Amino acid sequence: MSKIIVQDLTMQFDQFVAVNKVSFEVQQGEFVTLLGPSGCGKTTLLKMISGFLTPTQGRIHIGGKDVTRTPPEDRDTALCFQSYALFPHMTVRGNLEFGLRQQRTPAGDRKARVSQIAVQLSLEQQLGKLPNALSGGQQQRVALGRALSMQPGVILFDEPLSNLDAKLRDQVRFEIKRIQHENALTAVYVTHDQSEALALSDRVIVMRDGQIEQIATPEDLYHTPATSFVADFIGNANVMPAEVIGEADGGGWILDSKIGQLISRDPRDPQAKKINIAWRPELAHVTPEGPLSGTVVSRAFQGNFTDLHVVTQGQSYRLQVPHSDVSVGDEVAFGLDAKDVLMLEPSR
Amino acid sequence: MTWRRCATVLLLLMPGLGLIVSLIGMVVYVAIAQSFGLYNLNGDSVFTVAHWAEMLDRKLYTRAVTYSIYIGVWSAILAVAFAYPLAIWLRKPFRGSIIIGAILKAPLLVQGLVAAFLFINVISYHGIFNQLMQAIGLWDEPRRLQNDRGAIGVLFLQTWKNMPFALLLLTGAVQAIPDDVLDAARDMGAGTFARFRKIIAPLSLSAMQAALVIIFIGAVADFSFQVIAGPTNRQSLAQLMVFVRQTSWHEAAVVGVTLMVIALAGSLLLAIAARLILKGPFSR
Repeated sequence: MSKIIVQDLTMQFDQFVAVNKVSFEVQQGEFVTLLGPSGCGKTTLLKMISGFLTPTQGRIHIGGKDVTRTPPEDRDTALCFQSYALFPHMTVRGNLEFGLRQQRTPAGDRKARVSQIAVQLSLEQQLGKLPNALSGGQQQRVALGRALSMQPGVILFDEPLSNLDAKLRDQVRFEIKRIQHENALTAVYVTHDQSEALALSDRVIVMRDGQIEQIATPEDLYHTPATSFVADFIGNANVMPAEVIGEADGGGWILDSKIGQLISRDPRDPQAKKINIAWRPELAHVTPEGPLSGTVVSRAFQGNFTDLHVVTQGQSYRLQVPHSDVSVGDEVAFGLDAKDVLMLEPSR
Repeated sequence: MTWRRCATVLLLLMPGLGLIVSLIGMVVYVAIAQSFGLYNLNGDSVFTVAHWAEMLDRKLYTRAVTYSIYIGVWSAILAVAFAYPLAIWLRKPFRGSIIIGAILKAPLLVQGLVAAFLFINVISYHGIFNQLMQAIGLWDEPRRLQNDRGAIGVLFLQTWKNMPFALLLLTGAVQAIPDDVLDAARDMGAGTFARFRKIIAPLSLSAMQAALVIIFIGAVADFSFQVIAGPTNRQSLAQLMVFVRQTSWHEAAVVGVTLMVIALAGSLLLAIAARLILKGPFSR
């Protein structure tokens, strides 16, 4: 069993607090992603879980054992580095065997394990090559294979796809998910790419300024973000201030905002009179009968949809429509379903 | 490559490479020729192997050969062995690391002869070292340390003088190893020594080979440290060459050629041994 329990973890570098009293659990076989912008503390947190950093405060348990002060070489974890960190002087086989040699695995078992990994990751033809003779995707697979060869209880990923091009990233993303699932590995994945986090994870931990902003499944995170930051970070929701006027007939709340009066049927009650609200740009219904309207200030064709940047009474926001012949300067009318208008924290 | 391009490349290389090859070639040729009786400065030049036979027959010569190899090999190994941990320690900058690095490289600025005289002053019968050992109660009376028979003094001086050079070469090579690569090895279960043996040493092998070879060549041909601090019952090859030159240029040439052959063969052997140990079948 390789359940991870992180309790009140804090990491302080001189006066700077990189991670501040963070607590969460990762169940055996679960894929959890640490998501956040650069400098939010996600990599520092991963380094503490892997053992490369010792926390200033707090405890880490892996598989029921307190590993807070256990060095990385003695932990049941394997880390996939952003830079792949392959050993440049060793062949692919040498890289895959490295951990097994450290564990003093008998030669027969070692060979069998490497062959199995090579087949699993389609690396059979590359075993005799040095890392510099491989493509980025192949190097990524070797890094993954090297970690898997150790048969760790926990596998950790530090932005492993950031050096790959978009197409390869998609392909490797699915491979990572498949392998994690096939091997029933407990995985912690660090990324700043929300689409990666949503596609791969069982649960996502959104971080900001060294603290956890929200822990939820990708679906919950997308549809019911807890804060403006999460709403904005995941899927670029339109976040704007609004005032709660009163309760609406048939349930929900009437909100007054710069773009007009809205009704929200968010099951959460408003936290204050003046709050932030959020709605997804793709959930707006652009129709001439729409009760809301604004002026299009820019337009970007994105292939499967068109991104419209709209302004109403100085409040800018986005609308995403499948097909649109709207031009810059045109007035656009639209409507929002009450269930799609989310009430967030009090506004400043 | 066309002949025209070949000629252009050769012409371009001529001022640099040509000068080096011709100067070294001339010296090597004259030394070899003189060792076989040619280019006689005092009489007729006659081709003969008598000078080689004469030297190979002398115990003084064979002892000088083994002694010089001993000094060369151990100086190179010790200098590199002391430089490696320091290079790893100084790999990441920290407060004061620049000053420490500069102090460690200070022996490069001290002339070999000056260092040797300083050293024998320190270890002399009434020198600071003897006084210190007595003061702390380890020795009851002063001991004779100068010109020791095991040439520890010479090895100490060679290591002291050459370690900064090895450090200079190794620091760059060790600094070039990415942190992630070392962290990955650690993550795979490699402890400190395994990381050094399997990652750091193979990845800095070229620098290590360069340091071993250059220090070996310098130490094998040592004259000044040997004359001042070396054992009095043995001679290094350089010392022997100066000694036999007084009676025969041809025999001095034999010693000179021997030195060149040892420098070349020893360098190759050291470089190959380092590669085999760190990257070859013995590295696993």
